[in-house]
Amino acid sequence: MNPSNPPQAAEYGGDEVSAIVLDPGYSTTRAGFAGEDAPKSLIPTYYGKYNADGQEKLVFGDDVFVTPRPGLSIHNPIGRDGIVEDWDMAERVWEHSFISRLTGTKAGNPFQNGLNDVSPDELPTEMEVESEEKPLSDSPLLMTEPGWNPAKAREKTIEIAMEKWDTPAFYLARSGVLAAFASGKASALVIDIGASNISVTPIHDGMILKRGVQHSPLGGDYISSQINAIFKANSPQPITITPHYLISSKTAVEAGQPPQAKYKTFPADKAPDASYRALLEERTLSEFKECVVQVWPGPTKLSAPSPTGVSNEDLARNTPGRPFEFPDGYNQVFGVDRFRAVESLFDAKAAIPDPESPFPPPTPAQTIPELVKASLAGVDVDLRPHLLANVVVTGGSSLLYGFTDRLNHELMQMFPGPRVRVTAPGNTSERRFGSWIGGSILASLGTFHQMWISKKEYEEHGPNIVEKRCK
Amino acid sequence: MGRKRNQRKSSHRGAPLSSHHSSQRSSLPPITMPPFKDEHILLIAPGSQMTLAQLGLPETFTPARFRFPTRMFPAEKKGEYEPYRVHERRQEIKVNNRTDTPKPDVEMKDTEAAAAESTPATGTPAKTDENVQNDVESTKTVEEVFYEEDLASDEGAIYPIANGRIVDWPCFFALLTHIYNTLSPPFHTPILLIGQPVWSARDREAITQFVFEKFKAPAFSLMDSALAACYGYGTATATVVDVGKGKVDVTAVTDFAVNEHGRGIALEGCGGDAMTDRLVELLGPKGFTREMCEQLKRSNITEILPPGTPLPGSSATARQSTNPAAAASTGGLDGDESAPRGPGDGTQTGIEGDNGDEDEGVLDVAAIVSGNPTEYLANVEKEKTSSKKGAVDPKGARLPNSKKEKASFQFEEFVQLEGEKATAHGARQYIRHTRDIEVSVERFLLTSPRSKVGNRLTGGILEDIATQIHHTILAVPDATKRSELWDSLIIVGCGSKVKGFTQALLATITQKFILSPSATIFTSEIPSNFTTPLPTGANTPAPMGQPGPMYHPAAHGVNPLLVAATHNNPGMPGTPSMDPSMVSHYRSTGHSQTPTSVKTLKLPEYFPDFKDQGNSNAPGASSGSAGGNPGASGTSQGGHGMEEAVFLGAQMAAKVVFVIDQGLSKGYMSRVEYNESGPSAIHEYIL
Repeated sequence: MNPSNPPQAAEYGGDEVSAIVLDPGYSTTRAGFAGEDAPKSLIPTYYGKYNADGQEKLVFGDDVFVTPRPGLSIHNPIGRDGIVEDWDMAERVWEHSFISRLTGTKAGNPFQNGLNDVSPDELPTEMEVESEEKPLSDSPLLMTEPGWNPAKAREKTIEIAMEKWDTPAFYLARSGVLAAFASGKASALVIDIGASNISVTPIHDGMILKRGVQHSPLGGDYISSQINAIFKANSPQPITITPHYLISSKTAVEAGQPPQAKYKTFPADKAPDASYRALLEERTLSEFKECVVQVWPGPTKLSAPSPTGVSNEDLARNTPGRPFEFPDGYNQVFGVDRFRAVESLFDAKAAIPDPESPFPPPTPAQTIPELVKASLAGVDVDLRPHLLANVVVTGGSSLLYGFTDRLNHELMQMFPGPRVRVTAPGNTSERRFGSWIGGSILASLGTFHQMWISKKEYEEHGPNIVEKRCK
Repeated sequence: MGRKRNQRKSSHRGAPLSSHHSSQRSSLPPITMPPFKDEHILLIAPGSQMTLAQLGLPETFTPARFRFPTRMFPAEKKGEYEPYRVHERRQEIKVNNRTDTPKPDVEMKDTEAAAAESTPATGTPAKTDENVQNDVESTKTVEEVFYEEDLASDEGAIYPIANGRIVDWPCFFALLTHIYNTLSPPFHTPILLIGQPVWSARDREAITQFVFEKFKAPAFSLMDSALAACYGYGTATATVVDVGKGKVDVTAVTDFAVNEHGRGIALEGCGGDAMTDRLVELLGPKGFTREMCEQLKRSNITEILPPGTPLPGSSATARQSTNPAAAASTGGLDGDESAPRGPGDGTQTGIEGDNGDEDEGVLDVAAIVSGNPTEYLANVEKEKTSSKKGAVDPKGARLPNSKKEKASFQFEEFVQLEGEKATAHGARQYIRHTRDIEVSVERFLLTSPRSKVGNRLTGGILEDIATQIHHTILAVPDATKRSELWDSLIIVGCGSKVKGFTQALLATITQKFILSPSATIFTSEIPSNFTTPLPTGANTPAPMGQPGPMYHPAAHGVNPLLVAATHNNPGMPGTPSMDPSMVSHYRSTGHSQTPTSVKTLKLPEYFPDFKDQGNSNAPGASSGSAGGNPGASGTSQGGHGMEEAVFLGAQMAAKVVFVIDQGLSKGYMSRVEYNESGPSAIHEYIL
């Protein structure tokens, strides 16, 4: 084309809008445009609630981590088992995830009035009202769900998407299936280590094998509770985490010495709720998990003797410890304890007892090896070798240092016969956003377009259509 | 529609090119897409207060040549906008009386250094109205309607951008059009627009569509402001803190890629306005207006002292060793002098006056925090005050500003002449009044937490920003980059111009987040790269050849392993324990905590023009006088004087993207691509 000639007005007339992929999890909610390699928007699923000027205000997004507010309490619309409990708030949180970074508050075409000579009278009022109410009216939406999502919840989801957000097309996909797609596999055994759950999902030819889906609550939050148990039992003194917001300054102290920090105090009526403190403690704990916690690499359990006869614990004790400093300045080197925190994911007996923990002691059936075993028991015998050769590891908590090594050893011991192959993306974001990325791939495929549930079909058949179409 | 487009395109593609090439080059743009030239590049950097713009890249990069206040005024016809306030005046006049609109006799509010250049140009549109009006009615002696531009007034102005967000699209587009028309670039002008972090994907598409369809640009690039700041500093990895008028953005950039997750976007209540608000809260009862506080904030007597520094005049110059933030956090603090909390955590915005200090940037924060802050600062101050103009009170002339209990600044205001003289000419006239106003220690308290605001519990804006930085850096998935991010703070934005902002922010971070040595001393197991700067060339200025983000990071000397870690494609079939991707996994988890240190980046020293812009306290002078600190402050101060590094970066990026790279690495979107894929394709090109 000739760049010296001006183009015709509105040369581009198409509206090739790419679909939005929304992957709601217990700890974070991911949203982004299909076809991209990472979700543009990542927000905590937690939201804050506080009162200001007599009004209840809600806080969404990362702000809950950054700004303490008077009387702030933290909530999560999703239950520990990964199923939505508070639909109204789930809708708000999800909506925030795509509005904040993707579609903007006014969807539709906010630029119409700027570009075209629309006569001034017809514009603002009506249009804005409509578009603000229906934030997705021009984007197809692909959402993910856990493999054990009940039919009611699925119907409710499509209802929100169609009626509240006005999406023109919708699809609901199992997160396990998508994680397999993200690894380029149509058949796989997906092991997803999330914040509130770990799940094992067998997938064959892109279809979920429902009878084989297993899940248990030993996710990242459980590991946090184990770390807390370690802190409580710590010697010389128990460790308490004081989040940054309660500290105004700290002074460097030697390892193991009591902290010397200046604390903040809030008047009782303004102090943030305990749930806020718990959220921020969790943040310190995730730093702890990143920097200190390590999975005993195996091949045998931490409690077992090693091949050389020395107990594994002794071996672990001899590895150099890792230091960690808490927000109040207290710091300490963690030795064998850092292996113990996650051991119970593989060995229920290794759980550190803590009567105050919100998590009951794990049963053997909840550990990863048992989940895999139970999952495989639920699928056709002929499929098992194929699944074991395509084990896909995903989920943020699987990033624990040494996790996949150990998993591999456990699986090989348990299934000595067939070939076991564990696939785990090395890239942090591909591991954390596995199911989102799978959704991004799926929704950008041309062939997928026939699978969408269109608005018209929804209106014809009602929400129940999701059961028929999204298997 | 697609077919039609294609036809047209192909016919052009097939056209013979060579014959026109040489003959037309001088007068017309040639027919193929010729390389873009330096002088034909349009840069626009919109901000909530001021929009910077420039046509063409100069030999050596300079601060933006044009500054447009980011506001428009509704024109008479609904949906249209004028750059200046136009008001209508009816008057009985005799024939042919040319309107005589004397320009206000003072420098205009918002046009600063560039006033001279921009004013005549921007004035034109409305002028035409006048002329037309005159021509039409010149034969009669009737009531005549004058439309006059009131250059100084911002009454009724619409600000299309608030806290970085575009709140009024038609107005924003009108502003872009106004800027475009004012600079009137030739057709073959690629456009680089600096985007605010808060703009959503749809916003960016809307802007893309507008630029291509309205301006018919041959090429367009939309660059994130944080990334532009990195270009300005010539670094691939940095934490960019952009302190604006009403908001602060905190962005971690690694290997020229913006980390969207955990990014602090448009934190409200942390920008320059928040500091002014605090001053108003403190001084309002003493009769200060907001405008006074605004000017006070920008004056050179206002300063943010690092947390823990005693306020002058507070009983005892005794060091106040307790952390002011602690006191502040109780929420019950009012700006009462008897209990000086120390300026604790303040972020300030505003122009700093002139401190002739050569290297404030290398202020050793450790010395402030752990050593003897007062003394140290005093020394620094001593140098600074030497060249002070307005603020010296005779008695204390020798004392550094931070030691003086009281100081005065020159308040400037425009007063409209209301008398007959003014109305006779039919134009508003203004006169500039200046007077000295004395302020007490409140001038150090502008970042202390406000007492009235009920919805946050933090100890002031510095602490908010520090917390956000901590959050943002922790959210960077590549843990090995974090310590480098802590050591590469870039502080930009006019809000950071208040004296002492950078130092106070660093001090706040230090006392809240820096790890004690004993927490890191045992890290023997895995080599940490804490103090060993990675060979990223972070501090090596590489102006022209600076590879853009479109280059594979390996191209500029990043540790190849790191590249493998971050860009590894996991598609490889897993051999579990030996899986090569596991290597990277080990790398990222076997890491230690951060930060062990925090530093600002030094900015490149080879752009002298960025160092000395004039300063003034004039109202509205906010952004222009950026470089406020004459001389070297810009060089070494890591924040002061270089708050417009974003624009410098925009020029560098434009050079790289449009001239050097020529689109090979998808640095910009061409019109051909726009026609094929539509506005949403801009996301593939966004820098």
